[in-house]
Amino acid sequence: MADFRNFTKGFFKENPTYVQALGMCPTLATTTSAVNGLGMGLATLVVLVLSNIVVSVIRKMVPEKTRIPIYIVVIASFVTIVDLLMHAFVYELWRTLGLFIPLIVVNCIILGRAEAFASKNGIVDSFLDGLGMGLGFTGSLVLLGMVRELFGNGTIFGIPVWGKALNIFVMILPPGAYITLGLLAGLFAFIGIKRREASKRKVRT
Amino acid sequence: MEKKSIWRSALPLFVFSIIAGLCLGLVYLFAKPSIDKAELNFKLQSIKKVLEDPITGELLVASSEIPDSLKELEELVWRESSEGMLAGYDSLKAKVHSPAYLFRGKKGEEIYVLEGSSVGYGGKVVVLAAFVKVGDDFRLNGIRVTSYSQETPGLGAKIGEEKVMKRFYPVEPEGLRKGLKVNRDANIVPTEDEKKMRYLREHEGIIQTSDVMTGATLTPRAVVNAINAMYRYLKEQEG
Repeated sequence: MADFRNFTKGFFKENPTYVQALGMCPTLATTTSAVNGLGMGLATLVVLVLSNIVVSVIRKMVPEKTRIPIYIVVIASFVTIVDLLMHAFVYELWRTLGLFIPLIVVNCIILGRAEAFASKNGIVDSFLDGLGMGLGFTGSLVLLGMVRELFGNGTIFGIPVWGKALNIFVMILPPGAYITLGLLAGLFAFIGIKRREASKRKVRT
Repeated sequence: MEKKSIWRSALPLFVFSIIAGLCLGLVYLFAKPSIDKAELNFKLQSIKKVLEDPITGELLVASSEIPDSLKELEELVWRESSEGMLAGYDSLKAKVHSPAYLFRGKKGEEIYVLEGSSVGYGGKVVVLAAFVKVGDDFRLNGIRVTSYSQETPGLGAKIGEEKVMKRFYPVEPEGLRKGLKVNRDANIVPTEDEKKMRYLREHEGIIQTSDVMTGATLTPRAVVNAINAMYRYLKEQEG
């Protein structure tokens, strides 16, 4: 039976970026601004949903020993197809996002979800899992991109928020990505602990 | 027994790879014509853009002269080479691509449209540029950075923004002769005085980008190198 929780768990409880710490390479590389984060997130979302569905469909035909190479073939094919189709039909968007698309192959969220979820669950659940994780990833990247863009460039989605004087240039550079990511992961862990304590208290009373 | 299990593992991988390969081939065949069309359209748009007067925005050539198909574009070829490259300059780490085009301006002037590339932060940075012949020298009319896919988003990739590209043109023959430089390499602090910035660019060949794309030096340097290479090629051929 399809379970709706497979969709929502990616938002917070099993958030791919801040909780599972998956896909760090594109996360750190592309979140210099909110728009870049959004673009990378959406492109990953599409590939993640498609590969989750296909991996779930073929899960009974895949032998144990060669499952990882087969998943990689599936993922790399989808990335290439998405790249070709975007190049052909949405040229402007492809020019902006083009540099992120090849990065999706090396994003371990996709392989991680294929291995940990889609290879063990039905098509509908895998679809929901892919969609939820993809949205969770997109949201995380946008959040990270917004924080870095705001402190590094004084804008959010290109809209000026404060003057140039308050800009901390390091936020745009790779160290800024690590600093922001660490602080946000800490925040997510803190909220997670608070939530667990709150639910425990509820059980007791 | 052992042999059997190897087959059982390897065969599905083989079959899946073939299916994936076939799918990719089909998608490629299906998408290729549209990809070529989109690339051509982009090239034609970029050519039109570099032929605009940088001050008034008016086209330097009659609008009927602007090509809108591959055939019309091919009629304007000035120099071409089967190797895809007209000249390479190791000292600039830059190349001039083939083909180069020649347009006739409204006043009969010769306008050369060239494409060149140099190495930026992560890879090739491709620049399309229009040079107008003045006497026996050339003036840089406009540029478009057409490919910068390996540059860092938010840093070097800002080179694709209109306001950044505008910092590179127009340049008078005097500035081109001295060789274009980014202000950081020329040890010039960025100025906010538009007039001064313009003078430095047009007559000294100093391009100021450090204020509009902070932190990125390699990308604008690549653009400048590509322009210098194209200018050197033109001088060798026509000057």
